[in-house]
Amino acid sequence: MSESTVFIIDDDREVREALQLLMESVGLNVVSFDSANAYLEQFDAARPGCIILDVRMPGMSGLDLQNLLLEQPLCPPIIIITGHGDVPMAVRAVQAGAVDFIQKPFNDQALLDSVHRALEHDARQRGEASHIAEIKQKLSRLTPREREVLELVVQGLRNKLIASELSVSQSTVEAHRAKVMEKMEAKTLSDLMRMMLTLESQ
Amino acid sequence: MWPRALLLFLLLLISGPGLAEDQLIRIGVLSHRGSQATYDTWSPTATYLGRVIPGHDFEVVPLDFAEVDPAVKFGQVDFILANPGIYVNLEVRYRISRIATLNNLAGTNANNVFGGVIFARRDRRDINSLDDLKGKRLMAVAVTSLGGFQMSWREMRTRGLDPYRDSASFSFGGIHDEVVRAVRDGRVEVGMIRTDILERMAAAGEINMDDFKVINPKVNPGFLLNRSTRLYPEWPFSKVLHTSNELAQRVAVALLNMPSFHPAARAGNYAGWTIPLDYQSVHDLFKELQLPPYEYSGRFTLADAMKKYWYWLLVALIFLVFMLLMTTWVSRLNRELKKAKLHLERQYELILNSVADGIIGVDLDGNTTFANRAMTQITGWAAADLIGRNQHEILHHTRVDGTPHPADQCPVYATCSDQIPRFVEDDVFWKKDGSSFPVEYSSTPIRNEQFKTVGSVVVFRDTSDRKRISDEARQHQDDLAHVARLSTMGEMASGIAHEINQPLTAIATNAHACIRMLESHSGETERVIDVMERIGSQAARAGEIIRHLRQFVKKEQPELSRIDINEVINEVITLLRTEIRKFGVSIGLDLDDGIGEVMALHVQIDQVILNLARNAIEAMADIQAGERLLSIATRNEQDAYVRVTVTDTGPGLDPAVVDQLFNPFVTTKPNGMGLGLSISQGIIEAHKGRIFVEPVEGSGARFVFLLPTSPQREIEV
Repeated sequence: MSESTVFIIDDDREVREALQLLMESVGLNVVSFDSANAYLEQFDAARPGCIILDVRMPGMSGLDLQNLLLEQPLCPPIIIITGHGDVPMAVRAVQAGAVDFIQKPFNDQALLDSVHRALEHDARQRGEASHIAEIKQKLSRLTPREREVLELVVQGLRNKLIASELSVSQSTVEAHRAKVMEKMEAKTLSDLMRMMLTLESQ
Repeated sequence: MWPRALLLFLLLLISGPGLAEDQLIRIGVLSHRGSQATYDTWSPTATYLGRVIPGHDFEVVPLDFAEVDPAVKFGQVDFILANPGIYVNLEVRYRISRIATLNNLAGTNANNVFGGVIFARRDRRDINSLDDLKGKRLMAVAVTSLGGFQMSWREMRTRGLDPYRDSASFSFGGIHDEVVRAVRDGRVEVGMIRTDILERMAAAGEINMDDFKVINPKVNPGFLLNRSTRLYPEWPFSKVLHTSNELAQRVAVALLNMPSFHPAARAGNYAGWTIPLDYQSVHDLFKELQLPPYEYSGRFTLADAMKKYWYWLLVALIFLVFMLLMTTWVSRLNRELKKAKLHLERQYELILNSVADGIIGVDLDGNTTFANRAMTQITGWAAADLIGRNQHEILHHTRVDGTPHPADQCPVYATCSDQIPRFVEDDVFWKKDGSSFPVEYSSTPIRNEQFKTVGSVVVFRDTSDRKRISDEARQHQDDLAHVARLSTMGEMASGIAHEINQPLTAIATNAHACIRMLESHSGETERVIDVMERIGSQAARAGEIIRHLRQFVKKEQPELSRIDINEVINEVITLLRTEIRKFGVSIGLDLDDGIGEVMALHVQIDQVILNLARNAIEAMADIQAGERLLSIATRNEQDAYVRVTVTDTGPGLDPAVVDQLFNPFVTTKPNGMGLGLSISQGIIEAHKGRIFVEPVEGSGARFVFLLPTSPQREIEV
């Protein structure tokens, strides 16, 4: 996994460069763009990070860009920056899913806090995604009979009930169960339960 | 005349054929007793002369009283035999000369003198003396008959009688015999004839002498005939002027040599001829009676003159009356003319004095010749103060800035010398109280009838009020423009705030970044300095915007300054940047560096460009497709003015409002006041410029304004 990046999109060079300097001064990785289109051209969903987006820009506006990105499976968190008087627009952006909005001229700490929160949010969002993928991958190793056993175990049935349900012997159920625990790399039943709940919450 | 001439011709043929080749000499004879009697009496004499004077043939031409004069005048006769009265007249008029006097025969007595007879019937006992003629019916032979009238008239006149005035009637019988017959028959009471008529008629048996009596009879020895008057010489035989003296002498000799008993003399009842007598007595008679040729004699009385020249007098009188009428008419005309002139003068004065403008006349010396009432009212100078004095020294001595105004630069005198009318818009005149006032005036040459300039007339107007009104209007315009600017700023506030917010944001952010960099001791001093510099320029950018803003909103002193329109356009673009970005408009600037500066109110020109640019941006806000391009161009055209064009690619102007674009409250915007273009026009025109719309290819609109580079010059388009 590559390092998280702060993407700055603002048509005003002065503001853009100042933001970049601020981000760099706290050791953040920064790439800046002078328009929404420029950002879209190099957009890579796999690249972690967050976006600082100016609402009012010539060409594609900040809100247009936000709408486009939200259609993507993995959207980097967006911090809207806005000038005085653009507040209603910023509110709309937040309702549409922006993580934060900051009014110009901004408090550097507030902006940096917001950026950190966004990056964490991104990391979290990206972390959850990889965990589920892992569970699914483990799950795919199970045989159909083992899947049946797993589902019944997760429902909380005892081995005897499972055996009668599947019309197999109790020892066969125990063997399958051991195999499931092994394949799912679960040490305890509760581990297994958590994995399946994670999947269900998707 | 013709029958007589024919008869004469026949007579000549009978009397002597073969003599036709001889020179024909005509003897005019007064035919006082009728033509036939004349022929009978005188033809033998003519024949005698023809016989005595070889180579000549004489003929008698009977002439009645009226014919004598023209016959002599036109030379129709060579000799004339007439009574002494006619002779005297012809002598004076046509210079005829008597060559012999007739020796008349009365019975057996020959006389070369004769007289007049005034007679009446013997049975008229009441008529005995000349005095008795008064109130009687009189008849004479003819007015020109000497014996038959004039001699008798002279005698009556000596008795104080006038045959015309003092008679009951006075007529003329034409011939003697007729007068005798008229008296005998009682048609008249008294007759006047020459001597010897009665005797002859009695001898011929026509009358009886006893039937008549002679009035005022005169008796003297040697003259036996009845007579009432003095005696006068008998008829003269005269040569006419053209008749040669030689012939006249031969005729005179022939006549004088005629024996008294010669048959011709007997036929003519005379006794030959005598040497011509003196006719002075006849002249005296005519002088006394004031008859021709003595009608102008010294004893002419006024009554005579009036009688004689009544027609001239009448003509003179008519002329006099006519002159009198003319004089009256002329004098009345003159009076009316004077009245009209006075009226005109009054009218002229009334007009001059009614005019609200001051009017003065100036002669070639620069002295005032007249001044109207308004002049006095405006300047306080009475007409008497001005007339005959130098107008320049009184009215025009100092310029508005207090410097002396030399007389040789005075436009009024310039007009006198070059005859070109002048109009001066901005000058001052000086009042009597020492204050000055702004004027505009014209100076026009006055020409006389010969088109020679004799001075000039100056018509001036106090422009204080107009200046004040114009200043007020200007003030009002400025106020309106200011309000409009504030309103514009209101509309643009958020955009401009954003525009200031940008550099502020950059400044704040950069500053915080620097602090962090310094705190982290990362040693990036170079970079920090770089950032600090950026902060500085960003602060300047913010300050610039605020400066423009303040300039735009402040109420500028109405003082013109030199401004560069290109700079103004850049300022406007700065203020509009937010809107430009908001509507995605691209800007195309085509600014000519060589446009020079214009004298203008910075803020107002700012406002015009801002209005036009904002209109353009707003016009393009609604278009769906196509480029949104705002083009602003400047040009210096003909070095006289700066041309600024603002063009957009919007939908263009609605033809329905294009004519009224610059009228106030005309707008196509839902929230517009419709004042922008109206105010812009007011501003441009106040700067002596023009603003108008130009057609543009494709869609869009183009506004153009022109501002003179020299504020004094009007743009000529």
